[in-house]
Amino acid sequence: MDDWLIAIIKVVCIWVWVLLIAVVMTWVERRGAALIQDRPGPNRAGPWGLFQPLADGIKLFTKEEIIPTKAQKFLYIMGPLLFSLPAFSAYAVVPFGDKIILGGKEIILQVSDVNIGFLYILAIGSMGVYGVILGGWGSTNKYSVLGGLRSTAQMVSYEVPLGLALLAIVFVYGTFSLRDISLAQQGTFLGFLPNWGIFKQPLGFILFIVAAYAEANRVPFDLPEAESEIVSGYHTEYGSMRLGLYLFGEYVNLVTISGIIVALYFGSWHMPYIDLGAYLGPISWGVVSFCIFFLKVSFFLWLFVWVRWTLPRFRYDQIMGLGWRGLIPLALFNIFITALFIQLTV
Amino acid sequence: MDLYFWVFASMSVLAGLFTIAAKDALPSAMGLLTVFIALAALYLHLHAPLIAIFQVAIYAGAILILVVFVIMLLMAPGERLAAIQANVSYRGFGALLGLCLIGLVVVGIKGVSDIVSMKALPEGFGAPSMFGDLFFRDFLLHFEVVSVLLLVALIGGIYLCKKKL
Repeated sequence: MDDWLIAIIKVVCIWVWVLLIAVVMTWVERRGAALIQDRPGPNRAGPWGLFQPLADGIKLFTKEEIIPTKAQKFLYIMGPLLFSLPAFSAYAVVPFGDKIILGGKEIILQVSDVNIGFLYILAIGSMGVYGVILGGWGSTNKYSVLGGLRSTAQMVSYEVPLGLALLAIVFVYGTFSLRDISLAQQGTFLGFLPNWGIFKQPLGFILFIVAAYAEANRVPFDLPEAESEIVSGYHTEYGSMRLGLYLFGEYVNLVTISGIIVALYFGSWHMPYIDLGAYLGPISWGVVSFCIFFLKVSFFLWLFVWVRWTLPRFRYDQIMGLGWRGLIPLALFNIFITALFIQLTV
Repeated sequence: MDLYFWVFASMSVLAGLFTIAAKDALPSAMGLLTVFIALAALYLHLHAPLIAIFQVAIYAGAILILVVFVIMLLMAPGERLAAIQANVSYRGFGALLGLCLIGLVVVGIKGVSDIVSMKALPEGFGAPSMFGDLFFRDFLLHFEVVSVLLLVALIGGIYLCKKKL
């Protein structure tokens, strides 16, 4: 009974927390854009425009829901749902802190520590594209179809380097569980570097982050919705809360991806050089580890915004060329080097 | 009565029927997606989470997306499949392939007597390491032979695409 209660509390808390970050991210995105473009940005609703997401939400909720006459109704309605559902469920295996000991009971700060951890994320992550496809096809609009088409090609191409980069991580840590990988990143390495994934897999990290940006459809890989070419791509025909689900799902994806990057490459909840867990009590360490993890995640969330408003968009053939001729050979090379290194040292 | 099994088994059969009966290409592909997901749920039930994940990540996440890519490239939304479905030779080939598949299943099911006598699963059943042992130790030769098949398919694909070799 207790276990069930704990599990439910964790699911609800994490869900609300991820939603909250996603909401705040919409504000960060717009303020960040304004900062980079040297203009004020949304600053009327509340202090520094902090209530802007609330106003946006009210707007999206109260707008009239329109289904275009020629749209294929069922597909059109299913699109946003299929897009946001995987986004919400992928976070289940990402850790968000070490553990809390309450009343002699050890509670790990992760919804579920499954053995096949990030394979689950890969599988769930590849489901999101169906929402884009259904939306694009169901709208019966040529720009929407083009957006969906681009999305499929991009998703298939970049899933390969993403998977290969993760494979090299499995070589290094010998496990699929994100919690075990996080635990293995404590202490230092070679005497002076923190024992983080990025120092063991520098090339792997670059491959992973590039492929992850492509999977999340973020600039410079936002070809499925390139507004200068195909209006808004797959969500051209969408409005009100259905559009909101698409936009919102994207931010939830960003939170998940940042969480994975931190857990795999940036030492999860570990501070470099100092093992705070040895000095703090079980409860305060739980809270502190959560804060450290979240600080790192915030940096990567900000990086998404930073990159979006700094880089221009690729041309379509450049995207495909980068994926197949650039990233995949590099990822194979990375796997080869990692395997060779492990073979020679272990 | 195993409710979980019946729910997902009937779901996969119904979705399979929808896949071959649908009038549009993309909904038909979505039917196939449902079949894959229902099968993955059944694998989970059989204590094979890794195979379930592969089912979703590879079949639903990669192969079916390629199928959808081709559909989106060659057809327009609202375009009906009737012209293709009316083609008798397609149907004949489909029936032939289906019969071959059923034949294979029948041949495979001859070992069903093993299933009747229940036995406990070994420790760590369905774990990634066990999976790896099967692939890279016990059935290494079979696995590599299949990879040769893929290589042949790759070369064939390149040969078909290149105008001048």
